[in-house]
Amino acid sequence: MQTTQTAAMAISRRVAGPSLGRRLEANPFTWLVPVAVMLGVFYLYPIIDVFRLGLTNASLVGNEERYTLATIRAMFENPALVDILWTTFLFTFGSVVGQQVFGLAIALLVMRGERRKLPGMVALRTIVLIAWVIPGIANGLIWQMLFSEAPFGAINSVLRLMHISPVAWLSDPNMAMVSAVLSNVWRGTAFSMIVFYAALKAIDPTLYEAASVDGASGTQKLRFITLPQLRAAILVNSILVTIQTLNTFDAIISLTGGGPGRATEVLSLFTFNTVFRNYDLAGGSVLSVLMLAISLVLALVYASFLPRREASE
Amino acid sequence: MTAERREKWGDALTYLMAILIAAFFLTPLAWLLSLSLRTRQEVFLGASRFIPKRPTLDNFAQILSDPTFLLYLWNGLKLSALGGLGCLLVAAPAAYAFSRFWFSGKSALMMVILAFQMISPLVILVPLYRYMSALGLINSHFGVTMVYIAISVPMCTWLVKGAIDGIPKSLEEAAAIDGCSRFGTFWRITLPLAAPGLASAFILIVILNWSQFLIPFLLLNKDAQLPISVAIFNFAGTSNASSTQVLAAACLVAVVPAIVAFLLLQRMIVGALTAGAVKG
Repeated sequence: MQTTQTAAMAISRRVAGPSLGRRLEANPFTWLVPVAVMLGVFYLYPIIDVFRLGLTNASLVGNEERYTLATIRAMFENPALVDILWTTFLFTFGSVVGQQVFGLAIALLVMRGERRKLPGMVALRTIVLIAWVIPGIANGLIWQMLFSEAPFGAINSVLRLMHISPVAWLSDPNMAMVSAVLSNVWRGTAFSMIVFYAALKAIDPTLYEAASVDGASGTQKLRFITLPQLRAAILVNSILVTIQTLNTFDAIISLTGGGPGRATEVLSLFTFNTVFRNYDLAGGSVLSVLMLAISLVLALVYASFLPRREASE
Repeated sequence: MTAERREKWGDALTYLMAILIAAFFLTPLAWLLSLSLRTRQEVFLGASRFIPKRPTLDNFAQILSDPTFLLYLWNGLKLSALGGLGCLLVAAPAAYAFSRFWFSGKSALMMVILAFQMISPLVILVPLYRYMSALGLINSHFGVTMVYIAISVPMCTWLVKGAIDGIPKSLEEAAAIDGCSRFGTFWRITLPLAAPGLASAFILIVILNWSQFLIPFLLLNKDAQLPISVAIFNFAGTSNASSTQVLAAACLVAVVPAIVAFLLLQRMIVGALTAGAVKG
């Protein structure tokens, strides 16, 4: 009795076509709904609102909102903006170059060690990677203890022991930028290293064998095989590191707080101060749009250097 | 000079460089440890007491006996773990679709999702702060967790897709022939098989959430709700030269869980990171 009933149900279902649930789950876009909702609510809508707010005089201490271009004009006429952009450029450029060069050097060193089967290379890789999981805030605080000009500052107290006069790491405006870049490179190098390490592993070893047969020296191999093969990795890495650095906020606020004066106040910190210290929501929105625009332009510029995939590949 | 001798010199140079690099990366942490083990008097003796003469655990005792500090650690763990779990729930179906369905515009859509990763949390927090205060989500762990989820969803989708790509389709096809629905197959077959990949994605995101600062800093005002990252920043603001050793201990306690989690799962995390990396 029961079997006939289920059989009848199965037949009726087949006649009606697949159920709604089955049809939904056969459509890939159903599966994308949760991600789309999260990104829509927490990214897309806020971004549209940032563009809108930039055209108003909105403030965090609720006044009446009206549309005006005065905020944009005020922001771009603000003489501080040029300095902020220059500071941001120095910080980003220093960090990107530092992290890439240092990360590539370490990856090459680890690869050489592995080729020669030297023990301790995994340990070296691990030590470098540890810095990467240090929270940005802690990174700033730790380097503050190293750079501090008080008696407990590590670097200056070593200098004093060696009878070298101490350096004003954080109170001299130029040195403060060097210090900020150094601490950022310490934390960020691991990421570049791991990307380069993976890319180096993917290079066909026969290329090196062929070069050895032809009598190429180590530097020639680096210049004519390794670097061209790493081109895509270097460019992708540059995009990621540049944008990460542009967005860096916590490591700077805890190391220098943007000081001395405004010597290390990068664009993200300036945006933060504009909105949450001066309550200027509209001005901060203009700066946010500027941040987005800079990231986008840089990403496109780097991407235009990416090698095109050949049709034969 | 023979080739073999040159290689030997190269090995020596490799080790020399390795030691210098290791020193650069370890010194800041070693200094932090050194300061945290000192008494207030020894802190002022600087580098000459790199190894303290009278090491003390008092600073750690002071930190860890403070119930609010333990609460900060718990808040940090809770927010990071809930954020990681929520992120997997949101990202796994999308990762499945990207791995198992074919539809036009798929790779473009994946790039679009990844592009969200490029947007600074600060940019979205500027307007979000206003909505969330209007919705009463300021000072709520729920609100913070939702933002954490949104921020890590792009990376999580890519990581989980990589994990699902590595599973053979045959088991899923067998389940489908046996009449299992597509969602049932996903839930009962695909996800359990992808468990190692899901676990490494989860750990990686928890570690990244642990260092989140801006979101809780802006969205939480009540002291008892703060995670450790915000708490040490506030603590640094109120501390002075005579409490440096306590700040060092607090920093170390904030940093060690992330390091330990990373060391335990290093192989998995490095694997997950390099699997999706650029191939020339």
